[in-house]
Amino acid sequence: MSAAVLLTLITPPAHALVADAVAPDRFAALSAKEIAALPVLHGGRPAELGDFFQVRGERTAALRIEGDLGRVEGIGTAMAGGELVVAGPVGRDLGLAMAGGTIDVSGNAGDNAGGARPGAARGMTGGEIVIRGSAGTLAGAAMRRGLVMVTGDAGPGVGRGMIAGTVVVGGRTAPGTGRFLKRGSIVALGGAGARPATFRYACTYRPSYLLVLFRYLRQRYGLAIADRHITGRYARYAGDMAELGKGEILEWVAE
Amino acid sequence: MKINGVTIEDTFAEAFTMRVARIIITGRSARWAGAAADNLTGFATSVIGCKCEAGIERTLGESETPDGRPGVSVLFLTPDKTSLPEQLVVRLGQTVLTCPTTACFDGLPDVPERLAVGKALRVFGDGFQASKVIAGKRYWRVPVMEGEFLIEETFGMQKGVGGGNFLILGEEADAALAAAEAAVAAMTNLAGVILPFPGGVVRSGSKVGSQRYKKMIATTNDAFGPTLRPITPSQLPEGVNSVLEIVLDGTDAPAIAGAMRVGIPAACRPGVRAITAGNYGGKLGPHHFPLRTILA
Repeated sequence: MSAAVLLTLITPPAHALVADAVAPDRFAALSAKEIAALPVLHGGRPAELGDFFQVRGERTAALRIEGDLGRVEGIGTAMAGGELVVAGPVGRDLGLAMAGGTIDVSGNAGDNAGGARPGAARGMTGGEIVIRGSAGTLAGAAMRRGLVMVTGDAGPGVGRGMIAGTVVVGGRTAPGTGRFLKRGSIVALGGAGARPATFRYACTYRPSYLLVLFRYLRQRYGLAIADRHITGRYARYAGDMAELGKGEILEWVAE
Repeated sequence: MKINGVTIEDTFAEAFTMRVARIIITGRSARWAGAAADNLTGFATSVIGCKCEAGIERTLGESETPDGRPGVSVLFLTPDKTSLPEQLVVRLGQTVLTCPTTACFDGLPDVPERLAVGKALRVFGDGFQASKVIAGKRYWRVPVMEGEFLIEETFGMQKGVGGGNFLILGEEADAALAAAEAAVAAMTNLAGVILPFPGGVVRSGSKVGSQRYKKMIATTNDAFGPTLRPITPSQLPEGVNSVLEIVLDGTDAPAIAGAMRVGIPAACRPGVRAITAGNYGGKLGPHHFPLRTILA
Protein backbone atom coordinates (compact mmCIF):
# COMPACT_ATOMS: atom_id res chain seq x y z
CA MET A 1 0.00 0.00 0.00
CA SER A 2 1.30 3.45 -0.90
CA ALA A 3 0.69 6.78 0.81
CA ALA A 4 -1.09 7.93 -2.34
CA VAL A 5 -1.65 6.92 -5.91
CA LEU A 6 -0.18 9.48 -8.31
CA LEU A 7 -1.50 9.74 -11.87
CA THR A 8 0.55 11.94 -14.14
CA LEU A 9 -0.78 12.87 -17.56
CA ILE A 10 1.91 11.89 -20.04
CA THR A 11 -0.12 11.75 -23.25
CA PRO A 12 -2.54 14.66 -23.51
CA PRO A 13 -5.76 13.41 -25.09
CA ALA A 14 -6.58 14.70 -28.54
CA HIS A 15 -10.29 14.28 -27.89
CA ALA A 16 -12.54 14.08 -24.86
CA LEU A 17 -11.28 11.39 -22.53
CA VAL A 18 -14.00 9.86 -20.36
CA ALA A 19 -12.24 8.50 -17.27
CA ASP A 20 -15.20 7.75 -15.04
CA ALA A 21 -13.43 4.74 -13.52
CA VAL A 22 -10.99 7.04 -11.77
CA ALA A 23 -12.10 7.28 -8.15
CA PRO A 24 -9.88 7.01 -5.08
CA ASP A 25 -12.06 4.57 -3.16
CA ARG A 26 -11.89 2.11 -6.04
CA PHE A 27 -8.12 2.41 -6.16
CA ALA A 28 -7.89 1.19 -2.56
CA ALA A 29 -8.17 -2.40 -3.79
CA LEU A 30 -6.19 -2.11 -7.04
CA SER A 31 -2.54 -2.61 -7.91
CA ALA A 32 -0.73 -0.10 -10.11
CA LYS A 33 -1.08 -2.49 -13.01
CA GLU A 34 -4.80 -2.88 -12.49
CA ILE A 35 -5.21 0.87 -12.25
CA ALA A 36 -3.37 1.36 -15.54
CA ALA A 37 -5.67 -1.16 -17.16
CA LEU A 38 -8.89 0.62 -16.18
CA PRO A 39 -11.09 1.35 -19.18
CA VAL A 40 -11.49 4.85 -20.58
CA LEU A 41 -13.12 6.25 -23.70
CA HIS A 42 -11.01 8.45 -25.93
CA GLY A 43 -13.05 10.20 -28.56
CA GLY A 44 -15.64 7.50 -28.06
CA ARG A 45 -13.15 4.67 -28.61
CA PRO A 46 -12.12 2.23 -25.86
CA ALA A 47 -8.66 2.65 -24.38
CA GLU A 48 -6.87 2.12 -21.09
CA LEU A 49 -6.00 4.64 -18.43
CA GLY A 50 -2.34 3.70 -18.73
CA ASP A 51 -2.36 4.89 -22.35
CA PHE A 52 -2.55 8.44 -21.05
CA PHE A 53 -1.35 8.42 -17.45
CA GLN A 54 1.72 7.20 -15.68
CA VAL A 55 0.61 5.37 -12.53
CA ARG A 56 2.67 5.40 -9.36
CA GLY A 57 1.48 3.89 -6.09
CA GLU A 58 -1.29 1.42 -5.42
CA ARG A 59 -3.92 0.18 -2.99
CA THR A 60 -4.82 3.41 -1.27
CA ALA A 61 -7.83 5.71 -1.27
CA ALA A 62 -5.67 8.82 -1.56
CA LEU A 63 -5.27 9.88 -5.18
CA ARG A 64 -3.44 12.78 -6.77
CA ILE A 65 -3.70 13.60 -10.46
CA GLU A 66 -1.30 15.99 -12.18
CA GLY A 67 -1.52 17.60 -15.58
CA ASP A 68 -3.92 19.58 -17.71
CA LEU A 69 -7.09 17.51 -17.47
CA GLY A 70 -9.25 19.98 -19.35
CA ARG A 71 -10.33 17.23 -21.73
CA VAL A 72 -10.62 14.53 -19.08
CA GLU A 73 -14.22 13.94 -18.07
CA GLY A 74 -15.96 12.08 -15.28
CA ILE A 75 -13.11 12.06 -12.77
CA GLY A 76 -14.44 10.90 -9.40
CA THR A 77 -17.73 9.65 -10.78
CA ALA A 78 -19.82 7.99 -8.05
CA MET A 79 -16.91 8.01 -5.63
CA ALA A 80 -18.02 7.14 -2.12
CA GLY A 81 -14.92 7.91 -0.12
CA GLY A 82 -11.26 8.74 -0.16
CA GLU A 83 -9.41 11.88 -1.09
CA LEU A 84 -8.85 13.07 -4.63
CA VAL A 85 -6.54 15.97 -5.39
CA VAL A 86 -6.35 17.34 -8.93
CA ALA A 87 -3.40 19.62 -9.57
CA GLY A 88 -4.61 21.43 -12.64
CA PRO A 89 -7.78 22.14 -14.57
CA VAL A 90 -10.30 19.36 -15.07
CA GLY A 91 -13.03 18.65 -17.59
CA ARG A 92 -16.75 18.14 -17.25
CA ASP A 93 -18.62 15.78 -14.92
CA LEU A 94 -16.14 16.01 -12.06
CA GLY A 95 -17.56 14.08 -9.09
CA LEU A 96 -20.64 13.10 -11.05
CA ALA A 97 -23.20 11.51 -8.70
CA MET A 98 -20.58 11.49 -5.96
CA ALA A 99 -21.61 9.93 -2.64
CA GLY A 100 -18.68 10.63 -0.30
CA GLY A 101 -15.07 11.62 0.09
CA THR A 102 -13.40 14.82 -0.99
CA ILE A 103 -12.25 16.30 -4.29
CA ASP A 104 -9.88 19.25 -4.26
CA VAL A 105 -9.11 20.83 -7.63
CA SER A 106 -6.44 23.46 -8.15
CA GLY A 107 -7.81 24.91 -11.35
CA ASN A 108 -11.00 25.42 -13.26
CA ALA A 109 -13.59 22.68 -13.63
CA GLY A 110 -15.83 21.98 -16.59
CA ASP A 111 -19.58 21.67 -16.72
CA ASN A 112 -21.71 19.61 -14.36
CA ALA A 113 -19.21 19.36 -11.48
CA GLY A 114 -20.93 17.43 -8.72
CA GLY A 115 -23.89 17.12 -11.02
CA ALA A 116 -26.24 14.34 -12.04
CA ARG A 117 -26.09 11.72 -14.75
CA PRO A 118 -28.29 12.54 -17.74
CA GLY A 119 -31.93 12.02 -16.77
CA ALA A 120 -31.13 11.20 -13.13
CA ALA A 121 -33.19 12.82 -10.38
CA ARG A 122 -30.23 13.13 -8.03
CA GLY A 123 -26.70 14.33 -8.41
CA MET A 124 -24.31 14.34 -5.47
CA THR A 125 -25.55 12.50 -2.42
CA GLY A 126 -22.55 13.24 -0.20
CA GLY A 127 -18.96 14.37 -0.04
CA GLU A 128 -17.21 17.64 -0.74
CA ILE A 129 -15.84 19.23 -3.89
CA VAL A 130 -13.55 22.24 -3.70
CA ILE A 131 -12.74 23.96 -6.99
CA ARG A 132 -9.98 26.55 -6.65
CA GLY A 133 -10.99 28.31 -9.80
CA SER A 134 -14.14 28.70 -11.83
CA ALA A 135 -16.80 26.13 -12.63
CA GLY A 136 -18.74 25.61 -15.82
CA THR A 137 -22.47 25.22 -16.07
CA LEU A 138 -24.65 23.24 -13.67
CA ALA A 139 -22.22 22.86 -10.77
CA GLY A 140 -23.99 20.99 -7.98
CA ALA A 141 -27.07 20.41 -10.09
CA ALA A 142 -29.67 18.12 -8.49
CA MET A 143 -27.50 17.75 -5.38
CA ARG A 144 -29.18 15.76 -2.60
CA ARG A 145 -26.48 16.19 0.03
CA GLY A 146 -22.93 17.48 0.10
CA LEU A 147 -20.88 20.57 -0.51
CA VAL A 148 -19.49 22.22 -3.62
CA MET A 149 -17.18 25.18 -3.08
CA VAL A 150 -16.19 27.22 -6.12
CA THR A 151 -13.70 29.95 -5.29
CA GLY A 152 -14.13 31.69 -8.64
CA ASP A 153 -17.12 32.28 -10.87
CA ALA A 154 -19.82 29.70 -11.55
CA GLY A 155 -21.46 29.22 -14.91
CA PRO A 156 -25.18 29.26 -15.65
CA GLY A 157 -27.42 26.90 -13.77
CA VAL A 158 -25.32 26.43 -10.66
CA GLY A 159 -27.35 24.43 -8.14
CA ARG A 160 -30.13 23.82 -10.65
CA GLY A 161 -32.77 21.54 -9.15
CA MET A 162 -30.93 21.03 -5.87
CA ILE A 163 -32.78 18.88 -3.36
CA ALA A 164 -30.52 19.76 -0.43
CA GLY A 165 -26.86 20.45 0.29
CA THR A 166 -24.76 23.55 -0.15
CA VAL A 167 -23.02 25.29 -3.04
CA VAL A 168 -20.75 28.23 -2.27
CA VAL A 169 -19.60 30.50 -5.09
CA GLY A 170 -16.77 32.85 -4.25
CA GLY A 171 -17.05 34.82 -7.48
CA ARG A 172 -20.00 35.76 -9.62
CA THR A 173 -23.00 33.63 -10.42
CA ALA A 174 -24.68 33.47 -13.80
CA PRO A 175 -28.31 33.34 -14.97
CA GLY A 176 -30.30 30.34 -13.88
CA THR A 177 -28.66 30.07 -10.46
CA GLY A 178 -30.77 27.80 -8.28
CA ARG A 179 -33.59 27.39 -10.73
CA PHE A 180 -35.98 24.61 -9.61
CA LEU A 181 -34.25 24.46 -6.22
CA LYS A 182 -36.32 22.47 -3.72
CA ARG A 183 -34.20 22.80 -0.61
CA GLY A 184 -30.53 23.48 -0.16
CA SER A 185 -28.42 26.60 -0.11
CA ILE A 186 -26.50 28.56 -2.69
CA VAL A 187 -24.17 31.03 -1.05
CA ALA A 188 -23.09 33.78 -3.42
CA LEU A 189 -20.16 35.77 -2.08
CA GLY A 190 -19.71 37.75 -5.28
CA GLY A 191 -23.33 38.64 -5.86
CA ALA A 192 -26.42 36.87 -7.12
CA GLY A 193 -28.00 39.50 -9.30
CA ALA A 194 -28.90 36.96 -11.95
CA ARG A 195 -31.11 34.86 -9.69
CA PRO A 196 -34.41 33.64 -11.14
CA ALA A 197 -37.52 35.76 -10.66
CA THR A 198 -39.07 32.87 -8.76
CA PHE A 199 -36.93 33.63 -5.72
CA ARG A 200 -38.35 36.03 -3.13
CA TYR A 201 -36.41 38.29 -0.80
CA ALA A 202 -36.84 37.29 2.85
CA CYS A 203 -34.45 39.31 5.00
CA THR A 204 -30.87 40.43 5.49
CA TYR A 205 -29.14 38.72 8.42
CA ARG A 206 -26.07 36.85 9.61
CA PRO A 207 -26.64 33.10 9.09
CA SER A 208 -25.09 31.30 12.06
CA TYR A 209 -24.19 28.18 10.13
CA LEU A 210 -21.95 30.09 7.73
CA LEU A 211 -19.65 30.88 10.66
CA VAL A 212 -19.17 27.16 11.17
CA LEU A 213 -19.02 26.28 7.48
CA PHE A 214 -16.49 28.92 6.49
CA ARG A 215 -14.25 28.26 9.46
CA TYR A 216 -14.31 24.60 8.48
CA LEU A 217 -13.39 25.41 4.87
CA ARG A 218 -10.55 27.59 6.07
CA GLN A 219 -9.16 24.93 8.38
CA ARG A 220 -9.78 21.84 6.25
CA TYR A 221 -8.77 23.22 2.86
CA GLY A 222 -6.81 26.33 3.73
CA LEU A 223 -9.14 28.50 1.68
CA ALA A 224 -8.64 32.23 2.03
CA ILE A 225 -12.18 33.13 2.96
CA ALA A 226 -12.29 36.75 4.05
CA ASP A 227 -13.48 37.70 7.51
CA ARG A 228 -16.08 39.98 5.96
CA HIS A 229 -17.67 36.95 4.34
CA ILE A 230 -17.57 34.92 7.53
CA THR A 231 -19.13 37.49 9.80
CA GLY A 232 -20.97 39.54 7.21
CA ARG A 233 -24.63 40.02 6.45
CA TYR A 234 -26.44 38.15 3.73
CA ALA A 235 -29.64 38.80 1.84
CA ARG A 236 -31.75 35.68 1.92
CA TYR A 237 -33.84 34.85 -1.11
CA ALA A 238 -36.23 31.94 -0.62
CA GLY A 239 -37.04 29.74 -3.53
CA ASP A 240 -37.58 28.34 -5.98
CA MET A 241 -41.22 29.32 -5.53
CA ALA A 242 -41.99 27.21 -8.57
CA GLU A 243 -40.95 24.24 -6.42
CA LEU A 244 -41.09 23.81 -2.61
CA GLY A 245 -39.63 27.22 -1.89
CA LYS A 246 -37.64 25.82 1.02
CA GLY A 247 -34.27 26.49 -0.54
CA GLU A 248 -32.30 29.69 -0.45
CA ILE A 249 -29.82 31.90 -2.19
CA LEU A 250 -27.73 33.77 0.35
CA GLU A 251 -26.11 36.80 -1.21
CA TRP A 252 -23.37 38.54 0.73
CA VAL A 253 -24.22 42.21 0.98
CA ALA A 254 -22.13 43.85 3.68
CA GLU A 255 -19.73 43.36 6.54
CA MET B 1 -1.85 17.27 58.32
CA LYS B 2 -2.01 21.04 58.47
CA ILE B 3 -1.92 23.68 55.74
CA ASN B 4 -1.30 27.25 56.93
CA GLY B 5 -2.21 26.08 60.40
CA VAL B 6 -5.53 24.62 59.25
CA THR B 7 -6.15 20.98 60.14
CA ILE B 8 -6.93 18.68 57.22
CA GLU B 9 -9.08 15.94 58.67
CA ASP B 10 -8.18 12.34 57.92
CA THR B 11 -11.34 11.58 56.02
CA PHE B 12 -12.66 11.37 52.48
CA ALA B 13 -15.34 12.82 50.24
CA GLU B 14 -17.72 10.28 48.78
CA ALA B 15 -19.18 10.89 45.32
CA PHE B 16 -21.50 9.20 42.86
CA THR B 17 -21.50 8.19 39.23
CA MET B 18 -23.73 10.42 37.12
CA ARG B 19 -24.23 11.08 33.43
CA VAL B 20 -22.71 14.24 32.04
CA ALA B 21 -22.93 16.32 28.86
CA ARG B 22 -20.85 19.33 27.92
CA ILE B 23 -22.75 22.15 26.21
CA ILE B 24 -20.93 24.89 24.32
CA ILE B 25 -22.97 28.07 24.05
CA THR B 26 -21.78 30.90 21.84
CA GLY B 27 -23.16 34.34 21.27
CA ARG B 28 -22.60 37.60 19.48
CA SER B 29 -20.81 38.74 22.63
CA ALA B 30 -19.65 37.14 25.85
CA ARG B 31 -22.58 38.86 27.51
CA TRP B 32 -25.19 36.94 25.54
CA ALA B 33 -23.41 33.62 25.72
CA GLY B 34 -23.16 34.15 29.45
CA ALA B 35 -26.80 35.15 29.76
CA ALA B 36 -27.89 31.87 28.18
CA ALA B 37 -25.45 29.87 30.28
CA ASP B 38 -26.59 31.58 33.48
CA ASN B 39 -30.19 30.72 32.74
CA LEU B 40 -29.38 27.17 31.65
CA THR B 41 -27.50 26.49 34.87
CA GLY B 42 -29.94 28.33 37.10
CA PHE B 43 -31.95 26.16 39.50
CA ALA B 44 -29.63 23.25 38.84
CA THR B 45 -27.86 22.94 42.15
CA SER B 46 -28.81 19.44 43.23
CA VAL B 47 -30.65 16.48 41.81
CA ILE B 48 -32.54 16.34 45.09
CA GLY B 49 -34.79 19.16 44.02
CA CYS B 50 -33.73 20.23 40.54
CA LYS B 51 -33.50 16.85 38.76
CA CYS B 52 -30.13 17.91 37.39
CA GLU B 53 -26.92 19.62 38.36
CA ALA B 54 -25.25 22.11 36.08
CA GLY B 55 -22.72 24.85 36.14
CA ILE B 56 -20.39 26.92 34.02
CA GLU B 57 -17.18 25.02 33.46
CA ARG B 58 -15.28 27.90 31.92
CA THR B 59 -15.52 30.75 29.51
CA LEU B 60 -14.22 30.17 26.00
CA GLY B 61 -12.32 32.52 23.75
CA GLU B 62 -13.17 33.02 20.10
CA SER B 63 -10.49 30.57 19.03
CA GLU B 64 -12.00 27.80 21.15
CA THR B 65 -15.54 27.72 19.80
CA PRO B 66 -16.92 26.09 16.63
CA ASP B 67 -18.21 29.37 15.21
CA GLY B 68 -15.40 31.66 16.32
CA ARG B 69 -17.55 33.66 18.71
CA PRO B 70 -17.22 34.12 22.47
CA GLY B 71 -18.60 31.16 24.35
CA VAL B 72 -19.26 29.38 27.58
CA SER B 73 -18.79 25.72 28.38
CA VAL B 74 -21.42 24.18 30.64
CA LEU B 75 -21.41 20.79 32.31
CA PHE B 76 -24.81 19.24 32.80
CA LEU B 77 -25.34 16.16 34.96
CA THR B 78 -28.20 13.88 35.90
CA PRO B 79 -28.32 10.67 37.90
CA ASP B 80 -29.20 8.43 34.96
CA LYS B 81 -29.17 8.05 31.17
CA THR B 82 -32.86 8.68 30.69
CA SER B 83 -33.20 11.96 32.48
CA LEU B 84 -30.23 13.69 30.86
CA PRO B 85 -31.79 14.13 27.39
CA GLU B 86 -35.13 15.02 28.96
CA GLN B 87 -33.61 17.77 31.06
CA LEU B 88 -31.44 19.03 28.22
CA VAL B 89 -34.32 19.31 25.79
CA VAL B 90 -36.45 21.19 28.28
CA ARG B 91 -33.74 23.49 29.53
CA LEU B 92 -31.93 24.22 26.26
CA GLY B 93 -35.28 24.87 24.65
CA GLN B 94 -36.26 27.41 27.27
CA THR B 95 -32.96 29.10 27.97
CA VAL B 96 -30.63 28.88 24.97
CA LEU B 97 -33.05 28.72 22.06
CA THR B 98 -34.79 31.76 23.52
CA CYS B 99 -31.66 33.82 24.09
CA PRO B 100 -30.69 36.37 21.40
CA THR B 101 -27.75 35.55 19.11
CA THR B 102 -26.82 32.23 20.71
CA ALA B 103 -25.85 28.96 19.08
CA CYS B 104 -25.39 25.62 20.81
CA PHE B 105 -22.73 22.97 20.19
CA ASP B 106 -21.69 19.62 21.62
CA GLY B 107 -18.64 19.72 23.84
CA LEU B 108 -18.05 15.96 23.89
CA PRO B 109 -17.70 15.19 20.18
CA ASP B 110 -15.65 12.02 20.60
CA VAL B 111 -18.04 10.30 22.96
CA PRO B 112 -19.90 7.43 21.26
CA GLU B 113 -23.14 7.64 23.22
CA ARG B 114 -25.20 10.36 21.58
CA LEU B 115 -28.30 12.25 22.70
CA ALA B 116 -30.58 13.56 19.98
CA VAL B 117 -31.18 16.86 21.71
CA GLY B 118 -30.92 19.14 18.68
CA LYS B 119 -33.00 16.71 16.71
CA ALA B 120 -35.75 17.05 19.30
CA LEU B 121 -35.53 20.83 19.51
CA ARG B 122 -35.66 21.26 15.74
CA VAL B 123 -39.42 20.74 15.71
CA PHE B 124 -39.84 24.20 17.22
CA GLY B 125 -39.24 25.22 13.63
CA ASP B 126 -42.63 23.77 12.73
CA GLY B 127 -41.38 22.23 9.52
CA PHE B 128 -39.49 25.34 8.41
CA GLN B 129 -36.26 24.12 10.01
CA ALA B 130 -33.38 23.04 7.80
CA SER B 131 -30.33 20.94 8.43
CA LYS B 132 -26.73 21.32 7.33
CA VAL B 133 -23.98 18.74 7.49
CA ILE B 134 -20.59 20.34 8.08
CA ALA B 135 -17.48 18.22 8.59
CA GLY B 136 -19.64 15.18 9.16
CA LYS B 137 -21.80 16.77 11.85
CA ARG B 138 -25.41 17.63 11.35
CA TYR B 139 -26.67 20.99 12.54
CA TRP B 140 -30.22 22.29 12.67
CA ARG B 141 -31.15 25.78 11.63
CA VAL B 142 -34.32 26.67 13.49
CA PRO B 143 -36.02 29.82 12.25
CA VAL B 144 -36.86 32.27 15.03
CA MET B 145 -38.07 35.86 15.09
CA GLU B 146 -34.53 37.15 15.45
CA GLY B 147 -33.26 35.12 12.52
CA GLU B 148 -32.01 31.58 13.09
CA PHE B 149 -31.02 29.43 16.04
CA LEU B 150 -28.25 26.93 15.25
CA ILE B 151 -27.90 23.76 17.28
CA GLU B 152 -25.95 20.58 16.77
CA GLU B 153 -28.12 17.53 16.21
CA THR B 154 -26.58 15.29 18.87
CA PHE B 155 -24.66 15.74 22.08
CA GLY B 156 -22.27 13.31 23.71
CA MET B 157 -23.10 11.68 27.04
CA GLN B 158 -20.58 9.96 29.25
CA LYS B 159 -20.24 8.84 32.83
CA GLY B 160 -19.32 11.65 35.19
CA VAL B 161 -18.93 12.17 38.90
CA GLY B 162 -21.24 14.14 41.16
CA GLY B 163 -20.98 15.03 44.81
CA GLY B 164 -17.30 15.60 45.37
CA ASN B 165 -17.06 17.92 48.34
CA PHE B 166 -15.17 19.48 51.18
CA LEU B 167 -16.33 21.41 54.23
CA ILE B 168 -14.75 24.57 55.59
CA LEU B 169 -14.99 24.77 59.37
CA GLY B 170 -14.67 28.42 60.33
CA GLU B 171 -14.30 30.16 63.65
CA GLU B 172 -16.96 32.59 62.54
CA ALA B 173 -19.20 33.13 59.52
CA ASP B 174 -17.14 35.83 57.81
CA ALA B 175 -13.99 33.75 57.96
CA ALA B 176 -15.74 30.70 56.54
CA LEU B 177 -17.25 32.76 53.74
CA ALA B 178 -13.93 34.40 52.84
CA ALA B 179 -12.29 30.98 52.73
CA ALA B 180 -15.07 29.59 50.56
CA GLU B 181 -14.77 32.53 48.19
CA ALA B 182 -11.05 31.99 47.91
CA ALA B 183 -11.55 28.30 47.19
CA VAL B 184 -14.14 29.01 44.51
CA ALA B 185 -11.88 31.57 42.88
CA ALA B 186 -9.08 29.03 42.76
CA MET B 187 -11.33 26.37 41.19
CA THR B 188 -13.08 28.60 38.67
CA ASN B 189 -12.42 27.90 34.98
CA LEU B 190 -10.83 24.49 35.61
CA ALA B 191 -11.55 22.04 32.82
CA GLY B 192 -13.87 19.19 33.69
CA VAL B 193 -15.28 20.60 36.93
CA ILE B 194 -18.27 22.67 38.00
CA LEU B 195 -19.43 23.99 41.34
CA PRO B 196 -23.22 23.80 40.93
CA PHE B 197 -24.36 25.73 44.01
CA PRO B 198 -24.89 29.50 44.26
CA GLY B 199 -21.54 31.19 43.97
CA GLY B 200 -20.06 27.70 44.19
CA VAL B 201 -20.88 27.45 47.90
CA VAL B 202 -23.45 25.51 49.98
CA ARG B 203 -24.51 26.59 53.43
CA SER B 204 -27.11 23.87 53.87
CA GLY B 205 -25.28 20.60 53.62
CA SER B 206 -27.65 17.69 54.02
CA LYS B 207 -27.80 14.21 55.42
CA VAL B 208 -29.72 11.34 53.88
CA GLY B 209 -33.32 11.06 55.07
CA SER B 210 -34.87 12.54 58.18
CA GLN B 211 -35.11 11.80 61.87
CA ARG B 212 -38.65 13.08 61.90
CA TYR B 213 -40.26 13.37 58.45
CA LYS B 214 -40.56 10.09 56.55
CA LYS B 215 -41.11 11.70 53.14
CA MET B 216 -37.98 13.80 53.25
CA ILE B 217 -35.08 12.32 51.29
CA ALA B 218 -32.60 14.85 52.68
CA THR B 219 -32.57 17.09 55.70
CA THR B 220 -30.16 19.41 57.44
CA ASN B 221 -26.76 18.04 58.32
CA ASP B 222 -27.30 18.57 62.03
CA ALA B 223 -23.91 17.07 62.93
CA PHE B 224 -22.30 20.14 61.36
CA GLY B 225 -24.91 22.69 62.42
CA PRO B 226 -23.33 25.01 65.00
CA THR B 227 -26.65 26.08 66.49
CA LEU B 228 -27.48 22.43 67.23
CA ARG B 229 -24.21 21.54 68.93
CA PRO B 230 -25.70 20.87 72.40
CA ILE B 231 -28.71 18.86 71.19
CA THR B 232 -27.32 16.62 68.49
CA PRO B 233 -24.28 14.31 68.07
CA SER B 234 -22.12 17.15 66.80
CA GLN B 235 -18.98 16.61 64.77
CA LEU B 236 -17.84 20.20 65.12
CA PRO B 237 -14.56 20.87 66.86
CA GLU B 238 -14.60 23.43 69.62
CA GLY B 239 -14.37 26.99 68.37
CA VAL B 240 -16.13 26.32 65.08
CA ASN B 241 -19.14 28.57 64.63
CA SER B 242 -19.87 28.36 60.89
CA VAL B 243 -19.48 25.70 58.20
CA LEU B 244 -19.65 26.07 54.44
CA GLU B 245 -19.43 23.31 51.87
CA ILE B 246 -18.04 23.25 48.37
CA VAL B 247 -19.66 20.64 46.10
CA LEU B 248 -17.85 19.59 42.95
CA ASP B 249 -19.24 17.74 39.92
CA GLY B 250 -17.10 16.75 36.99
CA THR B 251 -16.41 14.73 33.93
CA ASP B 252 -14.27 12.24 35.86
CA ALA B 253 -12.68 11.62 39.25
CA PRO B 254 -9.21 13.00 38.38
CA ALA B 255 -10.75 16.33 37.39
CA ILE B 256 -12.48 16.60 40.75
CA ALA B 257 -9.39 15.53 42.67
CA GLY B 258 -7.37 18.09 40.76
CA ALA B 259 -9.80 20.86 41.65
CA MET B 260 -9.81 19.85 45.33
CA ARG B 261 -6.03 19.93 45.27
CA VAL B 262 -6.24 23.58 44.25
CA GLY B 263 -9.31 24.62 46.20
CA ILE B 264 -8.57 23.25 49.64
CA PRO B 265 -5.23 25.05 50.12
CA ALA B 266 -6.89 28.25 48.95
CA ALA B 267 -9.45 27.82 51.73
CA CYS B 268 -6.80 27.39 54.39
CA ARG B 269 -6.87 30.96 55.64
CA PRO B 270 -6.90 32.69 58.98
CA GLY B 271 -10.09 32.00 60.88
CA VAL B 272 -10.47 28.48 59.50
CA ARG B 273 -10.04 25.69 62.03
CA ALA B 274 -10.27 22.65 59.80
CA ILE B 275 -11.20 21.18 56.41
CA THR B 276 -13.21 18.01 56.36
CA ALA B 277 -15.44 16.18 53.86
CA GLY B 278 -18.82 14.51 53.67
CA ASN B 279 -19.25 10.80 53.19
CA TYR B 280 -21.60 7.95 53.93
CA GLY B 281 -19.04 5.59 55.33
CA GLY B 282 -17.94 4.66 51.86
CA LYS B 283 -21.01 2.50 51.28
CA LEU B 284 -23.03 4.59 48.84
CA GLY B 285 -20.74 6.25 46.35
CA PRO B 286 -18.06 4.49 44.32
CA HIS B 287 -15.78 7.52 44.14
CA HIS B 288 -13.72 8.36 47.23
CA PHE B 289 -11.50 11.41 47.57
CA PRO B 290 -9.25 11.09 50.64
CA LEU B 291 -8.28 14.63 51.56
CA ARG B 292 -4.80 13.93 52.85
CA THR B 293 -3.90 11.69 49.92
CA ILE B 294 -5.07 14.28 47.42
CA LEU B 295 -3.10 17.03 49.12
CA ALA B 296 0.04 14.98 49.77
